[in-house]
Formats: sequence, structure tokens, C-alpha cells
Amino acid sequence: MLVNKKSFVLKGTMLIAAGMLLASCGSETPKEDTVITPPADTVKTASAETEEVSYSLPSPLQIASIFKKSGLKYKDGVTSSQKDPSKYTTNLSKALNLGVYSADLSYTVLNKQNQEAMNYMKLCRSMADNLGMGSVFEQSNLSKRFEKNIGNEDSLAYIIAELQMVTDMYLDENDQQQVTSIVFAGAWVESMYVGSKVYEKGKDKSLNSKLAEQMTILGSIINSLKSQEKKDPTIGGLVADLESIKTVYDALPSVKNNPAAADDTDKEMTLTDDEVSTLTKKIEELRTKFING
Amino acid sequence: MKKIVYAGLVGLVFVFGFTTIQSPDNCDKKALTASCKKKMEPYKYDSQKFTKISFTKKAQQLEVEVPVFIGEKYRLIFNTTALPKAIQINVYTKDKDSKKREPIYTSKAGDTEMTFDVPRARKLFVDYDVPADTLAQKGGSGCMVFMVGYK
Repeated sequence: MLVNKKSFVLKGTMLIAAGMLLASCGSETPKEDTVITPPADTVKTASAETEEVSYSLPSPLQIASIFKKSGLKYKDGVTSSQKDPSKYTTNLSKALNLGVYSADLSYTVLNKQNQEAMNYMKLCRSMADNLGMGSVFEQSNLSKRFEKNIGNEDSLAYIIAELQMVTDMYLDENDQQQVTSIVFAGAWVESMYVGSKVYEKGKDKSLNSKLAEQMTILGSIINSLKSQEKKDPTIGGLVADLESIKTVYDALPSVKNNPAAADDTDKEMTLTDDEVSTLTKKIEELRTKFING
Repeated sequence: MKKIVYAGLVGLVFVFGFTTIQSPDNCDKKALTASCKKKMEPYKYDSQKFTKISFTKKAQQLEVEVPVFIGEKYRLIFNTTALPKAIQINVYTKDKDSKKREPIYTSKAGDTEMTFDVPRARKLFVDYDVPADTLAQKGGSGCMVFMVGYK
């Protein structure tokens, strides 16, 4: 009996060892953005060619920070009221709503809404768990440090920035860069929704120009998602939804009649109130779609 | 005899199970990130992009598009220490299809850790110019990181 047991352990150990050897061989697969080049013998010239364009999208915290600097006040009840992460069953809806929660977390932290910030931090963690990336919250005691520093806006902003960094690292190491783009798409739509809802109340000119400026990065978000479509075919529907917002924005008279504004670093684009309303309606539709899963 | 085989296999499990597996391109992403982060203060981390580069007989150019916002201050940090050969980094405000584009930043020969504080811009296009490696039979490879900070 003892011999059989030893033999069983021996075989088990051999299997584990073999598995790990195979796994280590598999880790040689490149995970980064790779410059794809043809085999050397097919190359005729040594001139440079652009092989690939990739995208580095901003963080939800930066978007919230820009809106805050432009005078965006806290408005009760505009952030996501869907607080049951288990409702989301697809990876796309989970990632989009992680973005929505991240944007709400940044908005509440920068506006010193401590209890709400705590709630959104927990929701972010729960949603990250659902996506299988809960371990990022364990790194450097980020969750505990967040709780300890509640009430200290600057410290919390640094902790959120650090959380973003470990999340970016985790997704890159696991070859899931497409999740970064999807999460940011969710965060961007939520930030635009919050910004436009607050604008409706105060009609602040500075906030108006920041809403218009945010639209200039929509093209980069769409292109970033398109470049990742092979990894996740469900991205196609999201791209179509975002393109429909861009189509509405590009057709607004203030935008259409001023094509150079997108590159002009001296002038800030502003929209009429009716144009903001048109844009808000479209963003609200998509935001509802995200939140309903 | 069985004991020796058993002990050997257990040792193998520990070696492969608990040792960090070094990627063939010698890319320690955590170390690269930590190095960039040290140069980030007083800016806040915003995003980072790892890029694997394989040197071949043909020169290559890779572009990273970075949307930025008017009135915000940005710092770009590059670390190419994990590349076997030097590359040149250029930063533009217009894309590669634009006829009139001048670099607002060009890395100096020999630099492997670079920091660039960005002037007012709406969009940045970061180009990696990878030289041809005419002597390489197979070509070396490595990775680099590019980090963005804001304040």
C-alpha cells in the first residue's frame, strides 16, 4: 500500500514537472506589441517602413482631473447606480463597467465624496475579481492604503494612479491589452455623461470646451479598439456604438464649419447648448446600454 | 534509487514552479516600470506602453499615438536599456502622413533612459526608428517601455 502511494506521488510529481516544463516553453510567446517584419531573405531594401501604429490612451483619473480643473462640481446622483457587479456576465460588459466604476471612483475622490469613493473602490475591486484580475488590488496593499487615506484627496489620487499602473502591467503581462482599451472606453463614456449632466445645470463655458476637447480623443479610442479586434470579436459592436457618437459630433455645425479646430492649439472649441444636448443624448443612450449590460 | 529520482523531480518542480521565468528577450518589465516611475515625480502616472522590438536586416518604424489635452502638462519617459541595440526616438505633433511635421523631441545617440516634458499640444506621435541590422543572421530582440505622466 505504501509502495502504491509512493508510486502515485511519483507519477503525480512527474506530471506536474512535465506540465511546468511545457508552461515555461509556452511563455516564450511574445506578449508585447511586436514589430512584425518579413523574413530577412525577402527584404530588398533597408529603408524604414511604418509597420504598425499603436495607442497609449489616458487614464480615467486624468479625464476626471481635467474636468475638475475646468470647474466640474459634484452633482449627487449622476454616477452609476448599478451597484451589483455580478449582474454583468460577459467579459465585454464587465470591462466596460469596470471603466464606468473607475470614472465614478475618480470623480468622487476628486470631489471629496469619501463614502461614495469607498463604495466605488469596492465595486472596482469586485468587478476586477469578476474579470480574474483581483490580484492587482493586493499589490502594495492598495485597498488598505486607500481606506487609510480616505479624506486625503491627493494621497487617494496617487493610490488610484498606482492602481492604474499595476493594472496596466497585469494586463500587458497577460496579453490582454484589449481590456485596457475597453475599460477606458467605459470610463470615457461615463466621464462624458457626468460632465454633460453637470453642464446642463450650470452651462459653464470652460466645461463646454472641455467636453468638446474630449471628443478629439474619441478617434484614438476607436482606432485602439479596432487594432485589438482580433483578440476579442465582441469589440466590433462597441466600435460601432462609439462611431455613431463620432458621427453625431462630426455633423454638429460648430465642428463641421471649423475643421481646423481639432489641430489648433491656440483656440478652444465650444459648442452651442443645443449641440451639447444632442451629444449628451447620444452619450446617455450608450451609457445606459453599458450599465444595463 | 526511487528516493533519488523522487527528490530530483521534487527539486525540478520547485525550480520551474517558483523561479521567475526569464523571457528570451531579457525583458524585466517590473524593473523597467520601476525605473521610469522614479523619474516621474512630480508628475502622476497616466499610462505605459511596452514594445517588443526584433532587429532585422530591414529598418523599421513603429508609431505610438498619444492623445493629450490642451493646457495639461505631460512628461514622457523612455527606457530602452533592455534593447540589445540603440534605436532613435522622435516625438511629433502630427502623424506620419502629414507632409509638414518636425520632431519636437529627438533622442541623443547613446541615451537609453530619456525624459521629455511636452510643450502645448493636442496629440503626440511617438516614433521608434529601429535601424537595420545588416550583420545579423537572426537578429537580436528586446523590449522597451514608454511611460506618460501628467500634472
